[in-house]
Amino acid sequence: MVSGSRQIPAAPGPASSVADAGGAGSAGQSAEGEDRLPATQPFVEIRNLRKSYARGAIPVLKGVGDTMSKTDRLVILGPSGGGKSTLLRCVMGLETIDSGAITLDGRNYIECLSNGRTFVDRTVQRQVGMVFQHYTLFPHLTVLGNLILAPVKRNGEKKGAAIARAEALLSRFGLISKLKSYPSQLSGGQKQRVAIARALMLEPKLMLFDEVTSALDPELIAEVESMISELAEGGMPMMIVTHDMGFAKNIATKVLFCADGVVMESGDPETFFAAPKIKRTRDFLASILRGTKV
Amino acid sequence: MDLTFSPSFVLPYLPALLRGLYMTLLLSILCISIGLVFGFAVGLMRNGTNRIAYACSTIFVEFFRGTPVLIQLFWIFFCLPVLLNVEIGPFVSATIALSLYMTALASEAFRSALLSIGSEQNDAVLALGLPRRVSLLHVILPQAFLRALPNLLSNSVTLFKESALVSAVGITDLMFQGEIISSATARPIEVLTTVAAMYFAVGFPLTQIVSLVERRVLRRMAI
Ligand SMILES: Nc1ncnc2c1ncn2[C@@H]1O[C@H](COP(=O)(O)OP(=O)(O)OP(=O)(O)O)[C@@H](O)[C@H]1O
Ligand SMILES: [Mg+2]
Repeated sequence: MVSGSRQIPAAPGPASSVADAGGAGSAGQSAEGEDRLPATQPFVEIRNLRKSYARGAIPVLKGVGDTMSKTDRLVILGPSGGGKSTLLRCVMGLETIDSGAITLDGRNYIECLSNGRTFVDRTVQRQVGMVFQHYTLFPHLTVLGNLILAPVKRNGEKKGAAIARAEALLSRFGLISKLKSYPSQLSGGQKQRVAIARALMLEPKLMLFDEVTSALDPELIAEVESMISELAEGGMPMMIVTHDMGFAKNIATKVLFCADGVVMESGDPETFFAAPKIKRTRDFLASILRGTKV
Repeated sequence: MDLTFSPSFVLPYLPALLRGLYMTLLLSILCISIGLVFGFAVGLMRNGTNRIAYACSTIFVEFFRGTPVLIQLFWIFFCLPVLLNVEIGPFVSATIALSLYMTALASEAFRSALLSIGSEQNDAVLALGLPRRVSLLHVILPQAFLRALPNLLSNSVTLFKESALVSAVGITDLMFQGEIISSATARPIEVLTTVAAMYFAVGFPLTQIVSLVERRVLRRMAI
């Protein structure tokens, strides 16, 4: 597949390098225009993604490939250490990769070049937003300061306009009273909701959530999950890593089971949860039901 | 020598002592400011990946922390002019010596502050696509400064007190004035007690500010 607008070397031919992941059958389509894409064109496509840490000593992703469409909410499940966080960090463009490419809306924005370097198209990468498991708000800035920093300092937006947008966003999510609070004055759930709002300020086309409720007390999980659900209802495409099976079932339009650095199984949630195809998935779901960590 | 203690005796000499205090404060503020700026740079070098910058900055810091301030001062006042074959006046040499000393102290405070900023801040910076300049100026520097603030303040108090050494190279600071007046009048008890009280009057509030900052500012920001 060749992305029309980039000057980078073309990616390997259509689907030729896709690690078999049971993805949508659209990988063979080739993008002609850069904006108007055939309906079958995947919104996000990950091809043959390999990633290791410590200069190859710790292989983490061993050829991951999959796709999601613009209406998808992709939930990524899998045992601890299986590479879920690493996968999301790669999609966000936070990591160098050892092979493969990632496409957003038909544009190859992350790619391992032939010289081994990782190419990241920053203009496309900026259309992706991410919220992490750990709290990442800037502690020396108020909630408002956190929200407007990137729009003002990165995008050059007028401060007044950014403040107005921030206030609207915070009102919408019931956080307006916290406008002038510092992160240390917020509960964990509020911190994560502000972190989501901060990402939304940049009007992303794709949101990534990496276990955003894992650090929270149980009673605070619901407020964060319902904020994500509200975004989902508004049509935001997202990739979600979670250990909360109830939430996963509710929000997923597609599930991906990732273990040992590969996609073991992927498909629609009904099939996945009711009749997983492979034993590894069944064992994983069973262990979750028993409440034990894998 | 008259051994009775009569505080009113120092009154006529107060203006001279205050001029000395002014010189002490001027020199301290100057050297603290210079030391903060260079200290941040040296602190960045000490945490960076450039080996040469790391080695140079480490030698610099350890040398200035590991030798008496008095010998640093004397070396810059007596030896440096000879080596460079230029005239260096007492005020300039005192400023250089104390600034270098403050740089070494401040760089240590900044170094550990920079180290304590978690990698999750970096994740946030990258995920928000903040350019390097913005992240240094608006994320890293403010947090490093706030985290280093208690140490920087107590370093500043140290420098203020150590600055009394510059009287040894003839700077007319508070210590110098005190020594002159006390030997000229043969009234060391009154004069030196007053000098000590004047140092304390500045130093003590500063140490109080340290704990105030720790309690208020840093707790609110949970830094
Ligand atoms: N920065 C790093 N340096 C070295 N190894 C790393 C690094 N980050 C992750 N790893 C390793 O990569 C593997 C996959 O980690 P990753 O965090 O992606 O797993 P995960 O599926 O998100 O697990 P969890 O459910 O525990 O969050 C782990 O073995 C981990 O130790
Ligand atoms: Mg993880």
